[in-house]
Order: sequence, then structure tokens, then C-alpha cells
Amino acid sequence: MSKLPSMQVALDGAMPDMGLAEVARRRLVVRDSARRSIGRRRTAGRAMQVICLLAVPIALAPLVALAIATVSKGAGALSIGFLAHAPTPEGVPGGGISTAIVGSGEIIAYAIALAVPLGLFIALFLFERPGPIASAIRFSADVMSGVPSIIIGIFAYAVYVERFHHFSDVAAGFALGVLMLPIMVRANEEAMRTVSVDLWEAGISLGARRSRVARSVVLRGALPGVVTGNLLALARGVGETAPLLFTVASPTFAMTLLIFNDATQPYPDAQQTAWGTALVLLALVLILSVIARTVAWTLNRKTR
Amino acid sequence: MNEPIANSPPSPASGSAVPGEGGVSPDARRPWHKRRLLPSSPLYATLRWGAAGLFAAIVVGLIVSIVSQSSQAFAHSGISFLWSGTWNPDAGDYASGTLVVGTVITTLVAMIIVVPVGLGVSVSLSELMPRWLAAPLSTSIEFLAAVPSIVVGLWALLVLSPVFATDVEPALEGLPVLNRIFRGPAYGPSVLLASVVLAIMTLPTVVALSRTALGGVPIADREAAMALGATHWQVVRRTVLPGARSGIAAAITLAIGRALGESIAVALVIGNRPAIPHSLLAPGATLGSAIVNQFAEASPGLGTSAVIALAGVLLLLTILVNVVGQLLVRRRGGRRLLGVRGAVV
Repeated sequence: MSKLPSMQVALDGAMPDMGLAEVARRRLVVRDSARRSIGRRRTAGRAMQVICLLAVPIALAPLVALAIATVSKGAGALSIGFLAHAPTPEGVPGGGISTAIVGSGEIIAYAIALAVPLGLFIALFLFERPGPIASAIRFSADVMSGVPSIIIGIFAYAVYVERFHHFSDVAAGFALGVLMLPIMVRANEEAMRTVSVDLWEAGISLGARRSRVARSVVLRGALPGVVTGNLLALARGVGETAPLLFTVASPTFAMTLLIFNDATQPYPDAQQTAWGTALVLLALVLILSVIARTVAWTLNRKTR
Repeated sequence: MNEPIANSPPSPASGSAVPGEGGVSPDARRPWHKRRLLPSSPLYATLRWGAAGLFAAIVVGLIVSIVSQSSQAFAHSGISFLWSGTWNPDAGDYASGTLVVGTVITTLVAMIIVVPVGLGVSVSLSELMPRWLAAPLSTSIEFLAAVPSIVVGLWALLVLSPVFATDVEPALEGLPVLNRIFRGPAYGPSVLLASVVLAIMTLPTVVALSRTALGGVPIADREAAMALGATHWQVVRRTVLPGARSGIAAAITLAIGRALGESIAVALVIGNRPAIPHSLLAPGATLGSAIVNQFAEASPGLGTSAVIALAGVLLLLTILVNVVGQLLVRRRGGRRLLGVRGAVV
């Protein structure tokens, strides 16, 4: 806070034998100085607050613009046929994205089959066996969740595509699963941490097996967090493009790849398809996020 | 923390020691302090250890496969692949230098945009706005995090890029002094546009994590500052922001990590010219965008290996940033932030 020399003089100089008039004068000096100080500080603070508040519309503008563009341009492409028909070659009108929807669904199914159970068991491991191994796993999960998705795509390519010499949905599902796994592990573990160790010990002391306690105490207590975390990780996985780039045979076999492919085409038809697919994808991801939050909210109310 | 009961190796041999299964188990003959109080069923133990082992295998496999697949390129170009000049597959030149520079520039510019905006938003949401206004706004910004990067890329390419070419970039060229870094023809796709896209994509990360950090500053600290006569803003500036410093640093590090690795959206809007950009309006390339664009065209053998080597360089860069960020968080603020990160993503 700024120094107030005049105020200091006024106080330091105060003597018991001062006349009443002098005391009153000095009191005024102090009061004026304090008023000026608070006024100055308030004005500066208000200015900074306004600057901060201005950042909010700047941050929201792209979100709003993006949503408007995707809905307005994508809605024109949407129709039952768009969802149900297979893509047509460039320049031929009337194609749909059914193969991409089916392909994406298949890839996601493989990814879920890999990542969800694995994520649960790894988190249980971290919960039940704290120690150097658990710390190492936790640390690598943290680092893994920061690894760019494109690198995971390259990894899946090296492990699967190059070895078996063909592109495949299994490889893509593996890549997405590896991408989602560290996020799920950390979310599951965080959720399990809300379960008190006392409860776990109580379960064990009742004679229950570890697996039984894990199911009926740990998982049950952590359920809202587990479901939310897994759904959010899934929402992230659904929207990923990079891991599929080197693992899926054709861009028409995954929604994100279809967008990537069609976005760069000069044909208005292709761009229209890209917008339509983007709208479908956006809706899917938003629905997943909303379900995740609703589930967390409802289950939280039920269990607490 | 979670320190249940020690000394309980889940070896299958102890499976029969569950109380109530009858018979004297071998465990009962041990001295009491060596008894395995908590036997695991063999199946459960296998699943748990198997999952942990599989995870370790994936992590090790990722690193090993990237390293081994990129060895051919490193054998060809030597270790100078990391920093030396040009990427020109037609001439047989493979090196990541220009791409590393492109990656660092785009990330830096993105951070210059996103840090002030992100901090302003988080301070507004956490300190300045009433709850009824802050809650829906922060939810909508978190939804931005859920928007797939390809959708952001599509929008940036088809909507934002024409606007940049006709309005934004010419306007920037007209600025005094700054036009030294904003010059050359306005194409649309450029390093600047890529940075703006990265800023948009990393904003939710910065906002969510800094907001949590700001909210974690104890109320007692704020009250102490108020009791000293600080105004609302002074409380924020002198007490809350310093108190949340380590959390904010972690948020920015995390955002840097994501910006370095983002490839698809950047590949769509950066213009893909693997050379050091002479201006922010010029097209460029990053490690990620080069991987996306070069992989399909790469010749089998050396070409593919060189692209995978690019992935190796990118991996190195992001792991470096992430480890630094985690050390930063661990040293100062404990682990809670990382947990929040798991919930946010």
C-alpha cells in the first residue's frame, strides 16, 4: 500500500501539550489523506476489475461463434439419409456418413473394452497397495495423460499396423484406449480416495475378501466419481482424430477422420458433409458430458 | 494416506486362509505378526497385478517402439537430427530443427494470448462475479474443453481463416512497430492463426485449473488483508494471486504441454511450410502438423522412420514440460491440483 508521508508527520508530531486547534487540524490532515488513499486505491482496483471482466466476453466469443457456425452449417446437411447412407465418391450428391458412424462406434467399443476394466483394476491397485510401485504407476499415468495423442497414434501404428501389415479398427481402438487409460486411472483413483480407509478396514475385519470389499465398499463409494471420470474420458476419446490417422484404413470409417478429410476438400459438398459430421460429433460429445455431470450429481445425492 | 494393513502379499498360496473356510490354514501356524491377515483371492490378485503390469508394459512399449522405430533416421542424420536445419524429404534431408522452432513459436504466441485472458477470466469467475453468474459461465467454458479439436480446426479453417485473411491480418500489418512481426501477404492460414487456435483450445485448461487454485486460497488470508484496509482488488492482487501462484504455474505448464502436442487442428490452419517463419503471418509447421502431413507421404523405411523420429522429439519435449510442471506442483502445493486435473480434462 502506498506510503502516506503527510499522515505520518501528522501522527508522529502529536504531543500531549498540543492545543485543541492543532489537534483538530492534524485530525483533518489524517482524514483527508486516508480518503485520498482509499479513493485512489478504489479507482485503480475498479479499473483492473473492468479489465478482468472484459476477458470473459473475449473468452466466450470463440465458443459462441463456433457453436453458431457448427449448428447453422451442419443443420443443413443433417437428414435421415445423411445418417443412414454410405458416403458417395467426391462430386456425387446424396451421400451419408453411416460407415463413419458405425466405424467410430466399433473403435470406441474396442477402446472401452480395453480401458474401462484396466483403469478400474489399476486404480484398485493404487488404492490397496500404496508404495513405490503405486507411486511409479501414478507418476507414469500423470506423464502419459500429457503425451500428445498423435504420438499414441504412432505407437499403435508401430505396434499393430506395421507388424500385421494392415490397418484395422482394433488398432484404432487400442490407440484410443491407451489415450483414455491414464485419464480414467487418475479419475478413478481420485474418486476412490473419497472412500475412507476405515470403511475398507471394517469390511476386511468382517471377514470379507479383498475383492468383495473392493466391489461393495470401494467401488460403491467411489461410483459417482468413477462414472463421471470414465464418461468424461470417453467424451475426450470420441473426439480424437490423431490416434486414428495412422490406424484406420479409410477416412470414411471414422467420423473425426471424415471431418479432417472433407475439411480440406475444395468441393462445397464435402465441406457440407464435414459440417454435418461435426454437428453429430459435437452433439455426441456434449451429451456424454452432460450425462457425466448429471450422473455425478444424482449419485452424489443418493449416496451422501 | 491410504495405508491399509501392511504385509499382505496377494500370493495365491494365501487364498485358503479366509476365515470361515474351515481347516487350519498354513497361515494360522505363522507367528502372529507374520500372518497374512488379508488374503486375496487368486483371481482378484492376478487381475490387479495384471492390470498394473499391463499398464507398465504399455508405457515401456510406447517409449521403446518410438525409440527403436526412429533409430534408422538417427542413424541417417546423426544426433543433429534434433536441432539441425531443414526438413526436405525429396532431397533426403531429415531434421527437426525448423519444426521445433515452429512448435516453440506457436506455443509461445498462444501462451501470450491465453495467459492474460485466462487469468482475467479465472479472477472474474472466482473473485469478482456473483455465483449465479459465475457458475453458468464456467460451465460453458468447460464445455469448450469438451469440443473435439477437429471441430475447432474445421471452424478455424473454414470460418476464422477467411476473416483473418481479409480483416485481421491486414489490420495487424497496419500497426506501428508491431508490423515487424506481422508482415508479408495475408493468406489466412499462418503461424498466427495456429497460435490463436491453440489459445482457444488451451483456454479451458488454464481457466479451470487457475480457478481451482484461486478458490483454494484460505478465506482467513482474505479477511486478514481486508482487516488491514485493503480494497477488494488489493485483496485479489496482493493475497489471492500470490497464494495461488503455484497452482496457476501448474495450469500454464499443463496448457503448454497441450499446445505443444496438438496436431490436427494446427495441421489444418498453419499452412504447412517446414521452414522457419519470417513473420507471424507466414505459413509454418510444427512437429505435430508435420507428423500429420508427412506420414501418409513418407517413403517406407527411412521416410517413415524420420516421421516417427519427429514423434520422438515431440515426446521428449512434452515429457520435459510435464515433468517440470509436476515437480513444480509437488514442491509447492501438494498433489491436489493433479487430482483436479483428472476430473477436469
